[in-house]
Amino acid sequence: MRLVVNDREYEVRHANEALLWVLHDELGLTGTHYSCGMGKCGSCSVLVDGVVTHSCITPAASVAGRAITTIEGVATRGHRGPDELHPVQQAFLERPLQCMWCIPGHVMSAVALLERNPDPSAEEIGAAAGENLCRCGGYNTVRAVVARAAELAREQP
Amino acid sequence: MFVAAGSAGTLMLGAGWLRAYARPLLADAVFKHGPSAARPPNKPGLWFEVLASGVVTVYVPKVEMGQGIHTVVAQLAAEELGLEPGDLKVVQAHSRHGFSANAMFTYGSSSTHTLYVTVRQAAATLREMLRLEAATQFGLASRDVVAKAGRFMGLGFTVPTLSFGEVIAAKRGVWKVPKTPALKPRAEFRHVGQSYPRVDARAKLTGTAVYGYSARLGGMLYGAVARPPRYGARLVRAVTDRAQKQPGVIAVVADLKAGFVGLAATTRTQANAAITALNLTWEGGTTLSQSELEHALSASRSGGAVLRRRGDTARVLAAPGVIEASYHTPLAAHAHLEPLAALANVTASEVEVWVSTQSPGQVERDLKAAFPGRSIRVHPTYLGGGFGRKTTQHAALEAARLSRATGTPVHVGWTREDDLQHAFYRPPTHTRFRARLEHGQVLALEQHTVSGDVIFGVQPPPGGDATIKALGFDPGVLIGQFAEYHFQAYTVVNHRLKLPIPTGPWRGLGSLANIFALESFMDELAQQARLDPLEFRLRHLPRSALGRRFKQALLTATDESGWTRSRTPGLALGLACCADVNTVVAVVSEVSVQDGRVLVERVTVAVDPGLVVNPAGARLQAVGSVVMGLSSALLERLTVTNGLVTESNFDSYPIIDMANTPPIDVHLIESGEVPFGMGEPVIGPVAASVGNAIFALTGQRLRSLPFDLQGV
Repeated sequence: MRLVVNDREYEVRHANEALLWVLHDELGLTGTHYSCGMGKCGSCSVLVDGVVTHSCITPAASVAGRAITTIEGVATRGHRGPDELHPVQQAFLERPLQCMWCIPGHVMSAVALLERNPDPSAEEIGAAAGENLCRCGGYNTVRAVVARAAELAREQP
Repeated sequence: MFVAAGSAGTLMLGAGWLRAYARPLLADAVFKHGPSAARPPNKPGLWFEVLASGVVTVYVPKVEMGQGIHTVVAQLAAEELGLEPGDLKVVQAHSRHGFSANAMFTYGSSSTHTLYVTVRQAAATLREMLRLEAATQFGLASRDVVAKAGRFMGLGFTVPTLSFGEVIAAKRGVWKVPKTPALKPRAEFRHVGQSYPRVDARAKLTGTAVYGYSARLGGMLYGAVARPPRYGARLVRAVTDRAQKQPGVIAVVADLKAGFVGLAATTRTQANAAITALNLTWEGGTTLSQSELEHALSASRSGGAVLRRRGDTARVLAAPGVIEASYHTPLAAHAHLEPLAALANVTASEVEVWVSTQSPGQVERDLKAAFPGRSIRVHPTYLGGGFGRKTTQHAALEAARLSRATGTPVHVGWTREDDLQHAFYRPPTHTRFRARLEHGQVLALEQHTVSGDVIFGVQPPPGGDATIKALGFDPGVLIGQFAEYHFQAYTVVNHRLKLPIPTGPWRGLGSLANIFALESFMDELAQQARLDPLEFRLRHLPRSALGRRFKQALLTATDESGWTRSRTPGLALGLACCADVNTVVAVVSEVSVQDGRVLVERVTVAVDPGLVVNPAGARLQAVGSVVMGLSSALLERLTVTNGLVTESNFDSYPIIDMANTPPIDVHLIESGEVPFGMGEPVIGPVAASVGNAIFALTGQRLRSLPFDLQGV
């Protein structure tokens, strides 16, 4: 089975396993994090065709051939080449969270939100980010960061 | 099955008579000095490395679990090296460089406090070594060479200069370590006190940061480990052949003597599936139920260990008009988002592990004991949260057992279910107060605290239970147990609850439970005295430097939250305060009630940690404590069924989310010359401030966590 992750094609053997563990164990992409294994916390979030998806409860086979973006591939989605951080990452770099185990959820949710809504209201930011848990308690930082990321994205050509 | 220790009630007889007086002194000493680490060694070469290429590396002798210590150490080092923090390569100290088992233990809000002077001394000594060598290379007297922005030059000259790397490149012969020079005065600080950006953020934002769960080596396997069905159950029989035949399984290891059964497979999914195919027989262990646990908490008034006795509390409380109340906190989990994890590679001569731990020394000791004759190398990774749970953990040992059996590196990453059900927990507590008031003053206050173990739960003292019984207290339970207020007569009695379920350190140790009880009761007394809760607290502050810091924190939090303003109908404020690790905190919470549910609308924090190295980091620590405290106040409660924690994941054990997190304002107060600590103190008053606000709004006094308006 073939997976397309961060614009690269991979042949994978364990198609029946959850996408999260195929990313980890076969592809060595460990930036996507395990925390609950039941789609309750958001730490394992990836984008599948631009939609936030909990990779811990998504069978790898179900996303074969579709465009998967992990936290490792977000920077390349910037407009000025692979080294440029996405506006969401830039905004989090200005105001990071703490342990950041939960960061894939917050980054992916924000990237997807800004793709479909470049100027989200506070309520829309809350609705988009609301499912991601952060035990360090950085929720208010996330709200501010997503608003700032929207600003940065609008400033960039 | 379990006993409330100290129920013998022989305090006034024989040796007990002595103990009655020795104990309060001992408890005072432990409380005052805290369970603090040994001072880290002061050797520049241990923590710093300067290469001829000019790269200056600082090996941080504490682990980074989100608290920001890597950034703080970079700031402290840069301050004395005369560099920018961004010029430094910040690396986690590990067995090969910068490791010192005691200094590495990261706990108790103590990292910034214990490193504040030491890191600057080490950096200053290194700078001085380089400066003296630069003088030799210039052919100048050492007093004629100065350091400026990472370069050395002759006094009064701007050229020629030597960089750190150039000095190293031209150095011949042996280095001399000079006397530590005087440290920069605070007025000249350029980096300390600045919100320098986190040094670990970029790696974490691009998915390249290595945590215990994401540590990788080529050719590695994935391990899974069987867990007992009840706490304390002993493994007596393991039939492994069916597990051995499961897809991907490479090896099954059953060591009945060590109580260990685990297996290694090609993928984690295979390992976790195969572990259910083991046929295991367990014996013994506890069958504790929730009702038995709750019954055990309701200890009798007699017995216990008197930890503080001032004045004749019993006589004052014999008169009528005694006010009584009791408070409960439940068993609770750390719920760090990264479950326990480690990667191990065991060879004939060496055990090497990458592990998410707050205590690299504990990992090293465990491995040494289990693998005698092999050298031990510990690489602490980033932690996806710790909160005390990662002070003691065994994932590294598990991974090493499986690596030894397979001859390949093995990673063990716990499932959320194992992490929640096979942890140690914040112990349940029950606190009873009796007090009498006169003219708005507390004449006497008697406090009985029943708690499961905290420190001794994970680290029993030499002599075990006998020692604990003789001592009469667990040092962790003491945190927050003594009121800093001045009461004319004051007695504190501690009742140890020896539980058959594992309990241990949780953010703030005893602080959350103790401060919830004390600061709620202070509110009840204020109400009985018909005094404003702020005024009532101010009246009882000691006339001391600490009392003045409390006053400033209380006034700041109340001013900033509009304490004296008239409130919008449907909203009310609650106040609470505490001191922990000498950091003073006041918290005001504003609440409303909608559809029978408590909503926290805003939280205002005033916190005085003495001195702040990184204000942005300190604010995050305060906010993090508020959010975790609110989660405890509103949501979190574990129960026990047949000897095991019932809840197993975030569906049954919800933690607070964004929708329930209010705006949080943090006001930092710097009253001193030394940073005391920011990791835990703010969590203490959070629940009490919410409960006090609920009372102000509804007239209902909620005395159990988590708050439940319906249950009243």
